[in-house]
Amino acid sequence: MRAEIAAAGILLTLHAPAALACGYCVEDKIAAAYDHAVVVHALARKHHVAFFHIDGTLVPGESTRRALEAIAESTKGVDKGTARVSVESASLAVAFDPRRTAFMDVQKGLETKLAARKLSLLPLRLIDRPAEMNYISR
Amino acid sequence: MQIPRPLACSLALGAAAVLLSACGPSAPSAPAAPLADPYDIGKMDLKPLPAKVSAERHQGAFAEGGSLSLGAELKPLDPSPMKSVRLDTTHKIIEIAPGVKYSAWTFGDQVPGPTIRARVGDKIRFSMTNRSDEAVPGVHLTAAPMMHSMDFHAAMVSPQDKYRSIAPGQTIEFEFTLNYPGIFMYHCGTPMILEHIASGMYGALIVEPRGGYPTKVDREYVIVQSEFYAKPEPGKRKAGGAPLYVFDGDRLRGAQPTHTVFNGTHNGMVKSPLAAKAGERVRLHVLNVGPSKTSSFHVVGTIFDRVWIEGNPDNQFRGMQTVLLGSSNSAIVEFVIPEDGSYIMVDHHFANASQGAIGLISTAAKPPVQELEHHNMPASATPTDPDAVAGKLAFESKCLACHTVGEGKKLGPDIAGVTKRRNDAWLARWLKEPENMLQSDPDAQAMLKDYNNLPMPNQSLSDAEIKQYLKYFHWIDAQPAGAAKAAGAH
Repeated sequence: MRAEIAAAGILLTLHAPAALACGYCVEDKIAAAYDHAVVVHALARKHHVAFFHIDGTLVPGESTRRALEAIAESTKGVDKGTARVSVESASLAVAFDPRRTAFMDVQKGLETKLAARKLSLLPLRLIDRPAEMNYISR
Repeated sequence: MQIPRPLACSLALGAAAVLLSACGPSAPSAPAAPLADPYDIGKMDLKPLPAKVSAERHQGAFAEGGSLSLGAELKPLDPSPMKSVRLDTTHKIIEIAPGVKYSAWTFGDQVPGPTIRARVGDKIRFSMTNRSDEAVPGVHLTAAPMMHSMDFHAAMVSPQDKYRSIAPGQTIEFEFTLNYPGIFMYHCGTPMILEHIASGMYGALIVEPRGGYPTKVDREYVIVQSEFYAKPEPGKRKAGGAPLYVFDGDRLRGAQPTHTVFNGTHNGMVKSPLAAKAGERVRLHVLNVGPSKTSSFHVVGTIFDRVWIEGNPDNQFRGMQTVLLGSSNSAIVEFVIPEDGSYIMVDHHFANASQGAIGLISTAAKPPVQELEHHNMPASATPTDPDAVAGKLAFESKCLACHTVGEGKKLGPDIAGVTKRRNDAWLARWLKEPENMLQSDPDAQAMLKDYNNLPMPNQSLSDAEIKQYLKYFHWIDAQPAGAAKAAGAH
């Protein structure tokens, strides 16, 4: 039962951090990193897609986007080829297999790697089934 | 003649003031009863219910509602005080100019989206399913599914609640009450907003005053001006045998449109003029959605008897020739058709008009073509070969200061016929290294003498760009004499 709950995405509400008090901006950030092909492919394999706000200073530009995506995809548990970064909206999306790596571990792994750039993550939403955008619990 | 309500109120107040002053300070005077404010915030509905987002996918028509008009002709007001409106988002291929198939994003499966008509006090019950992931029959060239949202300028609501972006397959529903009269834009507000609007996600919501308009008219139409920023799809894919076009991000950010149009189509209302008869009074609801250009809206042969800025009769001007509309600005213009003829709607910023912002209101079923030639704005053919299109755009941005297309000599030669006067090798070399040609080529030297020793500057063109120019020049010379014109050549 516990495993089922974890696989379902642990869908309790996370209180929005003060920096993200604007729900409108949350969906904007998700939209900026949303890739429908990634979502469809992930859900077909019963994987989940998590969206994060990137907290910290980002140097605008394509090289930053590529670097952050490479960092995300080198993180344990993140599906290769699924990281999407919007530098303009400071958001990140990754797909992962919840049966192999819990969401919390994915986030922790990402934050460990991003800490070198003085960046941290705030979870926004999790897609675990078609057309569902759920809040993420800790 | 009817007097508009605000003017009547002003006159009444003025008369009352004169009477009061004539009475002198000692005369007893009853305090004037304050006039009811039609915009009393206290009486407006500012407490709409929270929006609902669900995973329920609507599968019926993309646009539904008795208050919707799908084309330029406006349906009469639906008297129901509650108007259910469905505008689903889709991705589809539309034709923005002859041969220009564009990968559009839509509300209600059309560009512009359907026009909603209502009146002050009405409630809009809106629903939208993001169906951008649905396959279009026979077409597999549309943009990837993505998140979309709806931003109604007519609504007074929390954008954090009502204007949320939703993913493909999701549905959002919310309600709002119309508190002000006007012509209001609606558009997708999902980042990058510029791309969503430039791809076709906009339309008009017309809100009549609670008591209706102060004038009566014979015809009502809606005109939505917008820009497209098109480039051939990099993969050179085709739609229906014609090259597929997608938005050009560089042009978009630089506010350099390739097409400026009324109601979604280059010269669209030239082929299908709006009907009117001599002596009739016409009301146009004009909305400029941009996303980045202004409109100087003008109708050749008439004077606007009334202009209601933003579509609100309280904002009235009389006897105007042109109305200036920034992005998302609107106006109602009313005028009388004085006699039989074709009355030309243009953006009097003629660079925009020459990109397709032109249409007709005509008393004839098929107006004669010379009406447009009078303004040097024929419904010109457009090349469809991607290289020729790129060459045309480059030519129009770099060369028109010195050259014309079919309009005679300027500082340099007329480009029409150039491929018949010179061969491609000569032209390619001339475009690549004009300074070297002037040193060694007798024809180049003779041309320099013919044009007041004014040398052509080296534009540092790449071989690929030169190829595009040549494709465009050959396209020009394949057109009937006088048919090809460069945009902005007025």
